[in-house]
Amino acid sequence: MDDLFAPSDVSWTPVSPQLASVRRVSAAITAGVFGIAALLALGLTLGWLYGVLGLVVIAAVFGWSWVLIGRNQRSWKYAEREDELMVSHGIMFRQLVVVPYGRMQFVDVAAGPLERAFGISTVELHTATPATDAKIPGLHPDEAARLRDRLSALGQSQAWGL
Amino acid sequence: MTEPAPEPTGPVLEKTGARLHPLTPFVKGWGYFAVAAVALVNNEGLRSNLEIAGLGLIAVLIGGILLGALSWWFTKWQLTDDAIRVDSGFLFRRTRIIRFDRIQAIDVAQPLLARMLGMAELRMDVAGGGKSDGKLSYFKYAEAGDLRRILLVRAKGEQGAQQQEQEQEREPEALLVVPTNRLLGATLLSSTVVASAGALIWLIVATMVFDFHIGLFAGLPLLLGVVSPIWKQVVGNHGFTLSQTEHGLRTKRGLFDVQRQTIPPGRVQGLLITEPIIWRLLGWARVELDIAGVAGKEDGEDKLEGAQLLPVGERGEVNAVLSRVLPGFHLDAIELQRAPERAKWLRPIGWRYLAYGADEQVFVTTSGWISRSTSIVLHHKTQSVRLAQGPIQRRLNLADVHIDTPVGPTNAVARHRSAEEAAWLTQAQAHQARQARQAIESTRPDQS
Repeated sequence: MDDLFAPSDVSWTPVSPQLASVRRVSAAITAGVFGIAALLALGLTLGWLYGVLGLVVIAAVFGWSWVLIGRNQRSWKYAEREDELMVSHGIMFRQLVVVPYGRMQFVDVAAGPLERAFGISTVELHTATPATDAKIPGLHPDEAARLRDRLSALGQSQAWGL
Repeated sequence: MTEPAPEPTGPVLEKTGARLHPLTPFVKGWGYFAVAAVALVNNEGLRSNLEIAGLGLIAVLIGGILLGALSWWFTKWQLTDDAIRVDSGFLFRRTRIIRFDRIQAIDVAQPLLARMLGMAELRMDVAGGGKSDGKLSYFKYAEAGDLRRILLVRAKGEQGAQQQEQEQEREPEALLVVPTNRLLGATLLSSTVVASAGALIWLIVATMVFDFHIGLFAGLPLLLGVVSPIWKQVVGNHGFTLSQTEHGLRTKRGLFDVQRQTIPPGRVQGLLITEPIIWRLLGWARVELDIAGVAGKEDGEDKLEGAQLLPVGERGEVNAVLSRVLPGFHLDAIELQRAPERAKWLRPIGWRYLAYGADEQVFVTTSGWISRSTSIVLHHKTQSVRLAQGPIQRRLNLADVHIDTPVGPTNAVARHRSAEEAAWLTQAQAHQARQARQAIESTRPDQS
């Protein structure tokens, strides 16, 4: 079944595990903020027992998202075929995108502060339609730069026009 | 001004920083006044106090006139050596320069109110620009005609201008004209109008029988739902004419404001055939087109509307139009593959109508049981192919295949296919797109 979203005739490159770290840190920040808010709000209105209960629930959700983030990170992979870039990701909602290099309009390389701290960046390929969702997060900056250059070079040489 | 300017550079128009017609703000802004008046009159609090309502109306009126006058005063246009330059805006200055060599065609258009006042606007088709980018309004009618001629000469040279002039004069032979009564009938039977009219009747009955107080105010949007499509279709598409020119198919439509559009053959990305439920019984259908650089760039409500190819037509006409756009294409010849029966868990009724098919030129999908739509996309316009699967689909071993084409009404998705078939289709379509592109490039190497 797994083969459907990742045909085995090409070699797939996984993304960096740092992606999971970044997402876990950002989930931890969100969970922390909500946890403190819940603790104070429930604690001051209903009693501290409820506040702690709220904190526990949020901690449990965070623990679950910890696992999900890990699984989701492992699901991200991409492959460069002769004429197309393929990106596959998702556990619950799975998706495989096949983008011909020639259809590329431009490439974005982006890295937020948290991503920079963990040494990863995101490459996004844009075509003439926003429906194309060809985004590869969690790339090492060198790999991102290599991919960007390669994609622009291939996009140029194979340009199809509209 | 009445006789054609002998020299391309008429002295009248060569002044620097000319202003537009002084009545421009009035013609542009009358809708604003109408809306303000309606809003004030409809406002419950103000209705009870007529004095405040009157004062408010006057304030809005004065404010509007002032704003309009300011914007008119600060809008100036001039012709430079190689471009037409328009400065506008009093808070945020804006300068737009349209180079002559970027102008592809110029039309003089007269919306209803402008026509009554003898005014006209200039519409310049600019390569790669949206609809509003090349609008300059309003001029006196004769002035607009002169300016158009001057711009044409500058843009295309003397010969090109004459050629274009002749083209405008010589109406090409019509392939097809949509009769007004069919347009009216089709609009009255379209789903929105039927639904709005039904709701409106229900509302009126309810108001009378149960003595509801919401009354006519709730009815207003519904009334709008009935009237606005009729107005848009019958007036906007009045006398819809399709003709063939050397530059491609050409459509002409409109009762008060005649709109022309040329469809260059190489720029069609996809087609959408829509058959609402009542139309289907009568054998009617609507055909829309995705054209590169048209959809998604216009402002306002037309955003997702592509070019109309046929507002309403019979089956024979639809087929004729399709074969004009895609030579050698017959919709009936394409073998449609139905979705597997287990898709009914996700689409209890609609699954029967989910199908896809392909030939060497296009990919076709159908969907919808109330309003059936058939999307046709060209292989060589495919931007990307996506295979997607949600949690329920995985349980049923189903998946969707999206064929992405540039923004427009066409959206080709082969929904709820068996997963193996979908995976195969994704690869096959990627391959097909590559093949089609190579075939196109080998026959038309100059196409960019």
